[in-house]
Amino acid sequence: MTYASAAEIDARQERATRVFDTLRGDARTWLFLVPALLFFIGYQAYPIIRVIWISFTDYQYLTNEPANWVGLANYAAALSDPLMWVSLWRAALFTILFLPGCIILPLILAILIDRISNPYLATVYRVILLIPAVIPSTLVFVLWKWMYNFQSGPINHFLVNTTGWFELQNAPQWLGGTALTLPAIAAMEVWWGLGYHTIFFLAGLAAIPKDLPEAARIDGANEWQLFWHVTLPRLMPIMMILVVLRFGTAMAVIDEYLIFGGFNRDSPTYTWTIFMYDQAFKLGLWRQGYAAAIGMIGSIAMMIVMILLLRIFRTRG
Amino acid sequence: MAVADIASAGTESMPRQSWFTRNLAVILRHGIINFFMIVILLPLAWVLIMSVKSRPDAMRGDFWPRKFDFTTYGYVFQKIETLPVNMWNSIYVTAGTVLLTTVCAVLAGYALVHMRPRGGGIVVAALLASLYFPTRVVSIISIYEIQNSLGLINSTMGLILPYVTLNLAISILIMRSVFQLVPHEVIEAAKVDGAGPWRTLLTIALPMARNGLVVIFIVNFVTAWGEFLLCSTLTNDQEARTMPVVLAGAQGGLGQWTWPNLAAVYMIVVMPGIIAFTFAQKLFFKGLAEGVVKG
Repeated sequence: MTYASAAEIDARQERATRVFDTLRGDARTWLFLVPALLFFIGYQAYPIIRVIWISFTDYQYLTNEPANWVGLANYAAALSDPLMWVSLWRAALFTILFLPGCIILPLILAILIDRISNPYLATVYRVILLIPAVIPSTLVFVLWKWMYNFQSGPINHFLVNTTGWFELQNAPQWLGGTALTLPAIAAMEVWWGLGYHTIFFLAGLAAIPKDLPEAARIDGANEWQLFWHVTLPRLMPIMMILVVLRFGTAMAVIDEYLIFGGFNRDSPTYTWTIFMYDQAFKLGLWRQGYAAAIGMIGSIAMMIVMILLLRIFRTRG
Repeated sequence: MAVADIASAGTESMPRQSWFTRNLAVILRHGIINFFMIVILLPLAWVLIMSVKSRPDAMRGDFWPRKFDFTTYGYVFQKIETLPVNMWNSIYVTAGTVLLTTVCAVLAGYALVHMRPRGGGIVVAALLASLYFPTRVVSIISIYEIQNSLGLINSTMGLILPYVTLNLAISILIMRSVFQLVPHEVIEAAKVDGAGPWRTLLTIALPMARNGLVVIFIVNFVTAWGEFLLCSTLTNDQEARTMPVVLAGAQGGLGQWTWPNLAAVYMIVVMPGIIAFTFAQKLFFKGLAEGVVKG
């Protein structure tokens, strides 16, 4: 280790006193920030740092033995476990099923609603659109657990009793870890976000100056060209934000899988988040060191993709 | 409504073409929009009707019942023992969370914009970074440990602490962009007049940020009211849990959870949010435009 030169120490001390003065001078300002920072540090920053630390140890929650530093052993073990890769792929598969619908449907709906000129009707549509967004998450899941119920759900009732397309014996088993579970959850998520995302796009459409499409029409552009060359480029920024944000939420889904899938390792809902939860709170002596490593691998994998997406979108403007 | 719109469009008549061809685009547009509206509303309508179905009708499964039965709502409160407890848990946990988060977000948002603390940029960057990291999922491992060391496992009141952080970052950022719409000159003028930072915030800035306040109220209400992961991990007893978590574990159709019972409880739990939003929607949309879209 090299030692800092005298000048560097002086500079550092000077900086330290300056920081101290700043803190004292801004004490009243920081008083306003203290409540928020207490919660933010106590229940977000510290837990994450702690999880990073225990991911390098053999920490097991239900033993009294102190945690030992094991370096990258947990990461190596997780990466050589096929379940890690399968569970990551399952999360990615869900994201692939969910993302297109959650962007394209709201886009279409927003363009249609934007042309409604009756202000009363426009308000009614907007209120209906946001109703699913104000239903708390768990209640959305309870609702759809019921919609998808094998025996008593209205969807299967429609498929078996109303239309007769299926017999009771071969009616689709939507939930509980079948091949249909991920698409079913994705459809539910699209339903949930449909209104909220449409409102997002409507805000973007409202920001397009009205004379722009008119000028294009005068120049002889048809509706399709108008959409492709005028509307869509203007909506691109909003679309990119939505893609990145929704990619993040879709990769890290956990509540839905806990409610609809359980802890069966063969279930397509057994993604990296459930893998982590299973190891941390269910199996054996709660191998939280290993669970933390799983969580970090999942988080880092999705962060890399998110940064890549941001890069791609930024270079495109 | 939609029909009226179509009809009024039809009166601006052009000869030669039939009414249908002339208005094909309008009909198609309203048709598609209304299809989506029905898709959004149908599941909720189904539960609402289920809650007032008589038991035989509930078994039959048809959409419209032959006989209505409105007694289910009173019945569930008498017969499902933990129901009042779970409702009360939901109410005070949500109230505490919304109150604490709002206070934190207003103070921090205001300070970041109008008091310009040095180091504020780092705070904003940290808040933004926490939005892109799956914080909620990964931090659960350590939050269990923290709650255990504070003796708060299986404590309903203790849930408020981690709940506050669920939307803290986004709430602060929303309040920050709402406060940015309050001109610095107004704040400076109040300072010149001798108002301290607290009075300036409460009497000048906060009334101007009313719409943003509505947004973070609703966002935090919705999150806290329906939180599942923390509640189901940090509590063990049915009596300690909030209503939605109990509902998520309920085996529909069995025992006390007959379908109409489940539907009635569901409507009781889901309606406060929808009603509150419908009344506050004007302020909510304004706040959304100020805080989210511009911010």
